[in-house]
Amino acid sequence: MTTASTVKAADERVRSIGLVRRLLLKPELGAVIGAVVIFVFFSLLSEVFRSPSGVANWLDPAATIGIMAVPVALLMIGGHFDLSAGVAIGTAGITTTILTTQYNMVLWVAMAVSLLVCLGIGFLNGYLVVRTGLPSFIITLSTFLGLQGLNVGVTKLITDQVQVQGLADEPFYDGAHAVFAGTISIGGQDFQIAILWWILITALGSWVLLRTRFGNWVFAIGGDLGASRNVGVPAARTTITLFMAVSAAAWFVGNTQAIRLGSIQAVAGFGQELIFIVAAVIGGCLLTGGFGSVIGASVGALIFGMTSQGIVYAGWDSDWFKFFLGAMLLLAVLANRFVRRYAEESGK
Amino acid sequence: MSELLVMRGIVKQFPGVRALDGVDLEVRAGEVHCLLGQNGAGKSTLIKILAGAHLPDEGTISLAGEEIRPAGPTDAIRLGISTIYQELDLVDGLSVAENIFLGHEKASLGFTRRGETNAAARDLLARLGHGEIRPTTEVGRLSPAGKQVVSMARALSHDARLIVMDEPSAALAHDEVANLFRIIRELTAQGVAVVYISHRLEEIREIGDRVTVLKDGRTAAVGLPARDTPTSTIVSLMTGRNVEYVFPPRPDRAEPGPEVLRVENLSVPGVFANVSFSVRAGEIVGLAGLVGSGRSEIIEAVYGARKASGRVLLDGRPVGAGTDRAVRLGMGLAPEERKAQALLLDESVARNITLAGLGRYSRFGWLDRRRELADARAQIEALDIRPGDPRRPIKTLSGGNQQKAVLARWLIDGGSSSSGAPLRLLLLDEPTRGVDVGARAELYAVIRRLADQGIGVLLVSSEVPEVLGLADRVLVIREGEVVHEAQAGELDEHRVLDLVMAAHPATQEKEDAGE
Repeated sequence: MTTASTVKAADERVRSIGLVRRLLLKPELGAVIGAVVIFVFFSLLSEVFRSPSGVANWLDPAATIGIMAVPVALLMIGGHFDLSAGVAIGTAGITTTILTTQYNMVLWVAMAVSLLVCLGIGFLNGYLVVRTGLPSFIITLSTFLGLQGLNVGVTKLITDQVQVQGLADEPFYDGAHAVFAGTISIGGQDFQIAILWWILITALGSWVLLRTRFGNWVFAIGGDLGASRNVGVPAARTTITLFMAVSAAAWFVGNTQAIRLGSIQAVAGFGQELIFIVAAVIGGCLLTGGFGSVIGASVGALIFGMTSQGIVYAGWDSDWFKFFLGAMLLLAVLANRFVRRYAEESGK
Repeated sequence: MSELLVMRGIVKQFPGVRALDGVDLEVRAGEVHCLLGQNGAGKSTLIKILAGAHLPDEGTISLAGEEIRPAGPTDAIRLGISTIYQELDLVDGLSVAENIFLGHEKASLGFTRRGETNAAARDLLARLGHGEIRPTTEVGRLSPAGKQVVSMARALSHDARLIVMDEPSAALAHDEVANLFRIIRELTAQGVAVVYISHRLEEIREIGDRVTVLKDGRTAAVGLPARDTPTSTIVSLMTGRNVEYVFPPRPDRAEPGPEVLRVENLSVPGVFANVSFSVRAGEIVGLAGLVGSGRSEIIEAVYGARKASGRVLLDGRPVGAGTDRAVRLGMGLAPEERKAQALLLDESVARNITLAGLGRYSRFGWLDRRRELADARAQIEALDIRPGDPRRPIKTLSGGNQQKAVLARWLIDGGSSSSGAPLRLLLLDEPTRGVDVGARAELYAVIRRLADQGIGVLLVSSEVPEVLGLADRVLVIREGEVVHEAQAGELDEHRVLDLVMAAHPATQEKEDAGE
């Protein structure tokens, strides 16, 4: 009897967790299972969906969302939101395009200026959040509205239209196009180069989160801000850096869009900010911070891409897409919650 | 032995409160220095200044002869001062090793060196006698005792010269305390100084070398020998007050009122167990105990705000979970966090007073504002709430007047709540927190008046004199158990403090004989 209780006491301190349970506790597990189910589902409905051209087709939107979802997930793990992430894409593309086509700036220089503008937006978001202690939801809601107005207002003021055109005629366009909007041929099928960037950014983001001290700090400030400060984690610096990472990604996506089409709409990126958050949440990020996965967010983006194109291939009305997305989000959140609770309870 | 840390004349002012008013502390290398004082004496402010969380307004700190001024946690850590807070500063989502080295990661070029980190964590844990805790385990999955060990390992990882431990034994079982003491002795043998805060006198006698006592933000005694100073001396140093309390006289009742509240075997696992008591109409029952003893949680459980096993009966009717049922039966709560939990800060005094019974003033969905205002005015006058303008936003009032407004709520119409049930039991959690000493007497009088109307009052307060002066009957709570129950007149502050701190029985007897 005595031995039994001693053993139990020891067990309580070091709960050993089985492999299955440990797997269940991985934040990205739900997203991976969901992605497989959705792939199989649409593959059965449509042959084109699983053909190389079909795959290339749904990987493209997945890549655009994924490049944003990675830093957005990092920011959420750090305990914050960025509602301005979508319209910042528009700001980035518009800045580059206007400076090149209207003010004859060299494309590469214009892109550098655009990057500075974006980093400035991220810094402002982060600085205000850190300084005021207000919820990032409110701070970035105001940047979101502000940028949305600026994007349309400035575009109309300068071009009298709600879009900026003519980027394709500028010098250096071909070089930039190759880097940002080119294609890679694999087995005779052209894939957008953005897919490659997406994979690289996911790998980089995941590495930073799991293998660097910065990643530790991200988990720490999202998990327990007070505790992190008490042990000397540079919380303000970490938060601002995260916001700047999001806006840097917005710069990348915004310029990719402008260069690919040669023009950009004043409303580009509007409404996308929620999609990034959806991808991160499907990928296992908690809204409360301190928990989540970069790879999960990327898989969330993949689910988004597959569903958006899969509905078209299945011959359904694409108006239904948002409904599916909503249902999937709810399902993912419930499944994540259920799995996590189950794993934690059986772990006790 | 030389003085490692010398703090002189430390003053720290917070809005409205002088938390520290000239505190001195001297700690030698290699000693365990105990810091004693009642709740609110300034212990936590003092250690936060040491930890770099607050800057002192006045006074000097020197460490090993050099004057220091830690301006942030990082500063303090770099100087060799590690603090283990009671509410362990750990991030649940990170692993044990990551927590130990959080903020000073073993990294090159920004990349964490996992193998090295884990190995170093394993060494530290082994040194603490807890080699069974794996460095890769997520901290959220550890027991409180396990987390305590991780916090300790973190302090060690900094090569600290001075480690501050705020009630480190609070979460530990008996055998684990022994292990904690072993670790502390090892540390002091290596010349590390430990500042040890605990309410358990027997621990201080066992592990401590010297004792400094704080009282009302001042140093009451410096460097007393921990083993030989009589308990009575320590307790009177902690309690000797300059502040006079004025309590309303207890009414002489020939026969006690009927029982209003009956609590049977109320338990919340890990917080308190098998608590049984009753409150009669017109009676004030006080719960005395330290912060964390479970007294506030008992009130919450009675009110239905906390899930508990056992039975709570109000006028013989069972109160289940859920505060709405408690209110419907006639319970009222004036919570501990007045500003956050009891007041609409931007609303007027009148609205705050009539809040609980707005239903009374509504006719066909419209509020009868004139009647609402008139009722509020009557209460403002009756309780002498100042300034007396019912339209004034309540946040502009002082703490004492705010608290009076909270109490006034229950006085309207003899305290009938919105549902029409008359108030039967009032739960007061720290009713005088943040209230000026001068204004307290008036509050005490109001509380007594409520009782005289036939309401039962259950009172929780950290201030022992308050419980003794105001209550008719007192329950002493220690670590989730009722350890003593008596009429307030039969107890004094020494006795209650002895009970809540559980002075060693042997010492107790000796001193009783000596007195």
